[in-house]
Amino acid sequence: MTEAALAFHRRIDAALADAGLRQALALTTGRLLGGRTAAFGALPGADASRDDARRARASAVARLDAYLDQFAQAAEARGAAIHWAETAADARRIITGIARERGIRLAVKSKSMATEEVDLNEALEHAGVRVVETDLGEFVVQLGGDRPSHIITPIIHRSRQDVAALFREKLGAAPEDVADIPAMTALARRVLRAEFLQAGMGISGVNVAVAETGSVCIVTNEGNGRLATSLPRVHVALLGLERIVPTAADLAAVLTVLARSATGQASSVYTNVITGPRRHGPAGPPNAGEPDGPDELHIVILDNGRSRLLGTPLAEILYCVRCGACLNACPVYRLIGGHAYGGVYPGPVGSVVMPGLHGVESWSELAHASSLCGACRDVCPVKIDLPRLLLAVRREAAAKQLAPLWIRAAMPIFAAVATRPRLYRWAGRAAARVARFLAREGWIRRLPGPLGAWTASRDFPVPAPRSFVDAHQARQEVSR
Amino acid sequence: MTSPRERILASLRDGLLRGRLPGHGGDLAGRATETPAAPTLAEMAEQFSAALTGLSGHVHRASGTAAVAEIIEGLAREHRAGAFIGWDDEYLGCAGLAAALAFRGLARVTYDVSDQPERRGADVQALAGIGLGLTGAHAALADIGGLVLVSGPGRGRLASVLPPVHVAVVDERRLRPSLAALLREEPRLLDAGSNVVIVAGPSRTADIEMTLTHGVHGPKHVHVILTA
Amino acid sequence: MTPRPARVQLFATCLVDEFFPAAGHAAVEVLERCGIEVHVPPDQTCCGQPAFNAGFAGEAAAMARATIDALSLRDDPVVVPSGSCADMIVNHYPELFADDETYGPKARALAARTYEFSQFLVDVLGVELPASPAGPKLAYHASCHGLRGLGLREQPRRLLRDAAGARVADLPDAETCCGFGGLFAVKMGPLSGAMLESKLEAIERSGADVVVATDVSCLMHIGGGLHRRASRVRTRHIAEVLADPSRD
Repeated sequence: MTEAALAFHRRIDAALADAGLRQALALTTGRLLGGRTAAFGALPGADASRDDARRARASAVARLDAYLDQFAQAAEARGAAIHWAETAADARRIITGIARERGIRLAVKSKSMATEEVDLNEALEHAGVRVVETDLGEFVVQLGGDRPSHIITPIIHRSRQDVAALFREKLGAAPEDVADIPAMTALARRVLRAEFLQAGMGISGVNVAVAETGSVCIVTNEGNGRLATSLPRVHVALLGLERIVPTAADLAAVLTVLARSATGQASSVYTNVITGPRRHGPAGPPNAGEPDGPDELHIVILDNGRSRLLGTPLAEILYCVRCGACLNACPVYRLIGGHAYGGVYPGPVGSVVMPGLHGVESWSELAHASSLCGACRDVCPVKIDLPRLLLAVRREAAAKQLAPLWIRAAMPIFAAVATRPRLYRWAGRAAARVARFLAREGWIRRLPGPLGAWTASRDFPVPAPRSFVDAHQARQEVSR
Repeated sequence: MTSPRERILASLRDGLLRGRLPGHGGDLAGRATETPAAPTLAEMAEQFSAALTGLSGHVHRASGTAAVAEIIEGLAREHRAGAFIGWDDEYLGCAGLAAALAFRGLARVTYDVSDQPERRGADVQALAGIGLGLTGAHAALADIGGLVLVSGPGRGRLASVLPPVHVAVVDERRLRPSLAALLREEPRLLDAGSNVVIVAGPSRTADIEMTLTHGVHGPKHVHVILTA
Repeated sequence: MTPRPARVQLFATCLVDEFFPAAGHAAVEVLERCGIEVHVPPDQTCCGQPAFNAGFAGEAAAMARATIDALSLRDDPVVVPSGSCADMIVNHYPELFADDETYGPKARALAARTYEFSQFLVDVLGVELPASPAGPKLAYHASCHGLRGLGLREQPRRLLRDAAGARVADLPDAETCCGFGGLFAVKMGPLSGAMLESKLEAIERSGADVVVATDVSCLMHIGGGLHRRASRVRTRHIAEVLADPSRD
């Protein structure tokens, strides 16, 4: 096993040993999944809605170059500045550059997985820009110095006591400020309000971009997305280049399934569509135009490996709208949580995206942490065949000799035997004899070598004295 | 010397030429969407009201400036708001409201946030303590209990997000069944202002232990006054 | 509904063949009782799913070709006492050979006439089994590949309801994966074990005496866990239950 794979297994073991985490995961994913089930149950034409959303995303990806170009031109026509970032380093350089050029010292951020992916915060801090996460969960993550453990609800791994302790330690909160969850929320509101009002820059991700109008759509429940993109003078939006749909009607199709899949809400509280910076009246500023809004809008289009996925078996993952439903449905995610996966994107989608963007050499093991049960595919709002994509990752890993030695050795032997029926029958009888030798009262309590992983938690049955095919053939002979 | 844009678009084109994009589960050209029978105004009002109330928002029905002004005055008193920021009169779903409110001692604070970095902070800080935001709405979406707010001259963004109380005065004839229906009617709506936002109820979070709390960053109280 | 055939071929699957032949014999018995002649192709081996799931496409294709050959000597429908192996043949064989001029058509033809056992009984034969009120309490675990790959939601449950009625207990989280997952059980042992724990707890809560499923792979894993805990709960393939519903 590679070092990365070994580290993953260690993180899994640690997560499995954490009963508190297990409980928190069960509560959160249960709630979110239950919400999703109820929301889709109540939606007339629910299945067709998923088809519509898939169509919206697939049609965009099928002509991604054209739609991105259309998007960029439409946005520029409305006064947005478009930047193209081929790599994470480019994105960091562009955004820190925008801040530095304007002498910006404080930036407020609305939750964005893409900014995590490119490690933006660290780069900005090094450039002398203080970055404040404003999504409540992300704010807590930032105070605690760790990473989000779920795409939608970042602090599943934190209890209210954890949050209270963090607020006391890092914010100097008084006991009454952390007495209960409403109090803590009110404290966060006060603290972050001050930051919103002072910040020179607001940074956001983009949930969905609309090509025909050059719009970016950002959804939140808290309102931090609106404040971060309306109060500061400069708004920077980081857009993963695949997160686009052709038209406004397509946006509506995605919105129909997005919040329902993520949390079970019919709609997020704030669906914020931004087309260009603040508009000035015909006479130019001041007073003749919009009274508020950012004066500069910068949209940074991020590739970072996405374009390379086109034309590969993993291309379908580009339809993903980052709702998190697959995490909530996955029996493995529900056991180990987001941190165990070790990357920015966890769960079934992460198990495809991480190897897809960053290579199977370091990440293919994620795709093996799945029984291929298919629960993820059942809940995906755009009907991505995640199990098929996981298998594609496994195929690429096997082709690159990344499978464990014993499996690499055993597979060709198994195939050689299983394609020769007489040899197969003989081998079966021989293996059965060996197994019966290891058994006690019909069961084997300890299997040798890597197979010992089975008997670590369960017994292994002994093969039958006579195989089905042999016995059936014998019966047929007798009856003739 | 190619630009990043050219390189990214070229990389996309190369990928697309390699083919293999999975099907989209149906006709790409789009299937015929059967438009459901149009609901009546009364039905939409009912649905909107139920949806927004379910989100802990409030819906009032009123007709005439006096009645509307009285509701707003009541809310201002309840939440101890001495002034409000809001949209110009012509965009509220009720004529002459600003004057009626001024008469009742509720003053409108107008603003135009500076585009100069040195002045901007003070401009927004001045709005921070205001207790109530008053807007109209471009449309009210019945299926989700949402308001569609389009920014523009006289229609700032901050009124619906900065103060803890947001009151929207909406002519009931602006009710629409859904966003999809509204967009069929107005395909270029998204571009009508720099910001088109759909607001469905008060600000909320459940980040801490999945416990629901309102008023995180956006308003804690959302009141929609549907006018006849 | 597809027309009722006179004869079927039984593809036993490697796990039934080696570990749970009783399930195979029971499947033959039930089919024969329904008036269907059952032929067991002697050259059948393994459908290749373990190799396929491990990402070894070449080895999987080799085994798939051998299986297609063994099952295409006749064109009778193929009945498989395993949801996952039936899913492999029906959904993955055509995919494996999509670009193969020889095996593509053969794979598609085979896929079109292959059924999981309970699917065949309900969707093709339309059987209605007599009720046997006496016997153990049964809990049905919905094996994933059959459930999600073949849409096998109602058929096994209907058969059990017909045969055992009130004796069928509700299994909490019946559609949650048991954690077998093929090589996953060994490669990701701790995860597999933890998923098994959840399944065993649910079985205990159900109060059932017997766990029933369409796949012996799940039953092998669940049964191994039950035996390790010295539980009195047994596992049985659905064919065995239908062959002898009152059996303890």
